[in-house]
Amino acid sequence: MTASALTRPGERERLSVKLLEIDWRLGLLLCIIAGLGAMMLYSIANSSWEPWADRHLMRFGVCFVVMLILALVDLRVWFLSAYPVYVIGFLLLIAVELVGHNALGATRWLKFGPVTIQPSEIMKIGVVLALARFYHGISAKDARLSWKLLIPAGLIMAPVVLVAHQPDLGTAVLIVLTGAGVMFMAGLSWRVLVIGAIGAVAAVPAAVLFVLHDYQVKRLTTFLDPEKDPSGDGYHILQSKIALGSGGLLGKGYGLGSQSQLNFLPEKHTDFIFATFAEEFGFVGCLGLLLLYAGVIVIALRIASISHSHFGRLSAAGVTCTFALYVLINAAMVMGLAPVVGVPMPLLSYGGTVMVTVMVGFGLVMAVRVHRYSEISSGRGALF
Amino acid sequence: MEPSIFFDEVNERQGAFHRRTFLLGGFAGVGLLAMTGRLMELQLLQANRYQLLSASNQFNFRLRPPPRGRVLDRNGVEIASNRPDFRLLVLRDEVKDVDATLDALSQLIAIPDQRREQLKKEIANSPRSVPVQVANGLTWDEFARINVRTPELPGVTAEMGEARLYPYGGAFAHVIGYVSKINKAELDKEGPNPEPLLLHPGFRIGKQGVEKSLDLELRGRPGAQKVEVDARGRVIREDPAGDIKAIPGKDVQLTLDADIQNRALEVFGEESGGAVLMDIKTGDVLCLMSAPSFDVNRFATGIPGPEYAALAGYERKPLLDKALSGTYPPGSTFKTMVALAALEAGYDPNTVHVCNRSWFWGGRTWHCDDSHGAQNLHGAIVTSCDIYFYQCALSIGPDKIAETARKFGLGEIFDIGIPGQRKGLVPDRAYKKRNFPRDPVWHPGETPSMGIGQGYTNLNPLQLCVQVARIANGQKALLPRLIRSVGGVERPSGAAVPDLDVNKEHLAFVRKAMADVVLSGTAASTGDLRLGPVKMAGKTGTAQAFNYTNGRGAHGAVGDWKGRDHAWFIAFAPYDDPRYAISVLVEHGGFGAQAAAPRAREIMRVALLKDPEVRARIEQPLDSPDSYGGVAPAPPTPIGPEPPGAVT
Repeated sequence: MTASALTRPGERERLSVKLLEIDWRLGLLLCIIAGLGAMMLYSIANSSWEPWADRHLMRFGVCFVVMLILALVDLRVWFLSAYPVYVIGFLLLIAVELVGHNALGATRWLKFGPVTIQPSEIMKIGVVLALARFYHGISAKDARLSWKLLIPAGLIMAPVVLVAHQPDLGTAVLIVLTGAGVMFMAGLSWRVLVIGAIGAVAAVPAAVLFVLHDYQVKRLTTFLDPEKDPSGDGYHILQSKIALGSGGLLGKGYGLGSQSQLNFLPEKHTDFIFATFAEEFGFVGCLGLLLLYAGVIVIALRIASISHSHFGRLSAAGVTCTFALYVLINAAMVMGLAPVVGVPMPLLSYGGTVMVTVMVGFGLVMAVRVHRYSEISSGRGALF
Repeated sequence: MEPSIFFDEVNERQGAFHRRTFLLGGFAGVGLLAMTGRLMELQLLQANRYQLLSASNQFNFRLRPPPRGRVLDRNGVEIASNRPDFRLLVLRDEVKDVDATLDALSQLIAIPDQRREQLKKEIANSPRSVPVQVANGLTWDEFARINVRTPELPGVTAEMGEARLYPYGGAFAHVIGYVSKINKAELDKEGPNPEPLLLHPGFRIGKQGVEKSLDLELRGRPGAQKVEVDARGRVIREDPAGDIKAIPGKDVQLTLDADIQNRALEVFGEESGGAVLMDIKTGDVLCLMSAPSFDVNRFATGIPGPEYAALAGYERKPLLDKALSGTYPPGSTFKTMVALAALEAGYDPNTVHVCNRSWFWGGRTWHCDDSHGAQNLHGAIVTSCDIYFYQCALSIGPDKIAETARKFGLGEIFDIGIPGQRKGLVPDRAYKKRNFPRDPVWHPGETPSMGIGQGYTNLNPLQLCVQVARIANGQKALLPRLIRSVGGVERPSGAAVPDLDVNKEHLAFVRKAMADVVLSGTAASTGDLRLGPVKMAGKTGTAQAFNYTNGRGAHGAVGDWKGRDHAWFIAFAPYDDPRYAISVLVEHGGFGAQAAAPRAREIMRVALLKDPEVRARIEQPLDSPDSYGGVAPAPPTPIGPEPPGAVT
């Protein structure tokens, strides 16, 4: 029995049906990737569940349940909450600017008693929701090229400026690219895309000179010539490449990666966990892992494309876009193809923030699938 | 909005979205393919390179300095060896914060402020990957304390190495020299890529004496310890199978005898000077001592500046090797050479000259210590009559004296393996011509001075010992040998040399005269060995430290130390069957008979008593019950001022 066969009114609202509508293949892939992450964290901690592997699995378990609950939330509720989420996220970003908690030279966090939240993460989802909500209400022609596009551009740039000022370059880039992705999916004119790409490239030197912090510029120059100072700033990249390269075809074996086990590889359990994985499982293992990520992306795009609502399509595609960018930027960074920007490998890397963001995102994707037949009127509750 | 437009729009938007979805999927696919390509490049094409880099990350070969070869005396007694040394090293590359690290370390061991400043400089200037030694000679407690803390102190290691130990402290200081840290000049000599061993903080290079001349033999070849290290350089595991064994340096055996050497230093007390004792059959040097001495161990561990300044500034010059590098006028000991030269030149030993304390010649008065009356050559040696030798020397001239003196090794540098010797001078006419362009002529008035071992003549104690050894040997132009073997390979004996080109009867004449010096002459009271039938033959010397022609001034051990005469005694024993030759110099010691002869006697006694054949001879009288009592072996007799009256 497939969901599409159900035609009786109210049938789709039943919990058991909704649960069946959840894409369990996608859920399984996410579980496998998170499981691999826990396995690597166990290995890096010298065959110990502490301090990372157990917490990684616990977090994933909680996030997975959250994802299932979010999957059951009616898409219209998502639709209605799109702008409120964006606005709340934006206000929190401003609050960070004013009273944020400073750590490691950056102001990214807000403290509410025992809870610390990172508003820029909320904005990753918030921007996707707001853009999807906005494009839901305008015509294809307007989405292609019109003055109205200044609004999504503003929706993207307003939080980006605040995030970049924190400074959190990685997240800023991620939000910009995700936003651009959603605009692209909504049918943005190629001409605008090409001009925008050229403008972005042209802006790099200006950004280096006026906007970026010294350490950020240093990261960029180090990326361009990592061997210049192999024990200084080029250390991360060089050690990461050594970890990757020394893995060879089949890897050094589980728990036998000397680069990570002996601490040559910095951030081995967070941003550089892919290098650890590559060292222990080699090219074959990496290929398998990339195929898992590719599977997630393909399934999520498929979910986006079968949705009956434009909001559903664009929000699912936006989340997929964020996810794919995470994977590609992290992989490129670890392999020495991109500067070190502090973007983790989703679900594989240890870290609660990205886990929550990604799983909430997939909750949205799942919700799009569960409610793929929902029609959402552009009029109701629409601002535009 | 109108519904019709709404539905058209929906279809158009959906179509655009589907097209763009394919494109987005395509982009992601291309991105992932690019990653795969990069992975292939790193993991398949360049895998070997990165595997090598990974291994060199993971494994480290720690240089292990080889144990330095020992230096042994002729009986195998260690006179330079190694002791375990716990030391604390800091590697600049891995120390994050030098100040904080030094703070932490100074809670574990004492680091004086002055040393701390010096250390900061040293660490800042140290080459990468070459550790700096913060402290050595740690106690086990300190070593353990630091080892416990090293996990929190990146770049700090406490390790066990070896340090040089000189068990006798000062007795062999000038012969063995010492080892110390390599300095910039020595390092520069090694060229642009010095052996890594030289940079190791545990490495010491020979700076003086045998340690310097045989440094390469003593050094050995370094080994390496294979260890697995983490990113902070901390050792995770050792891999004994991968170790490269260090090859220890070769042991060097000297001809010296620790007992004789120690006794020599002992009898010198606070006096300054040198003593050399040789085996006249083999040329082996059994004693080569310079006094006062210093504890070389202080140099091996790094002597503090003020202590060094005190040594360097002391007027008795403990740092100078007086046996080899100090030259002194030989005084009356040189009369043996003048006598031999005269005999060789056909001089009649029965020629008589009369001495009545002064002799007027060449427009001035020449003095003697006593009024010896009428004497022949033999008598003049026994009483050391200056007036006889003024005239004797004049009758043969300086060149003949110099020629003979050189045959006996005077003015020569002997290759015994110790750098920094000075050859001194035996003057002749050619020397005068060469070195005094304004006054190139040898004046007759310069010959009498030379006849009593003054004037230009300047020699070192080793040369005088060789001279006596050749006289005593009676045949060979004996060479001294100090290094008996290196790594078990024997060095050529000092007796494997051509014969001495001197008439043997003339040598016997001089030996007889020297025997009488001790029996009844200038050293009659101070040169007696008190070893029963075993007697010594010798010649005293009291050399004016300054210009002889300026009148007598203070003679003997009176007045300011620096103005006193140098005391000499050269001797061989037993006088009837020579085995050992000795020369003793007491710098500014006064009379040779009083300051030098008793010391020579005491040193000689040790050599004779250690010689089984001589000992058998001494002990023989014990077989007859009548001779219990006054015979050897007698205890060493103290050195004290002898009754005056003996003259040179």
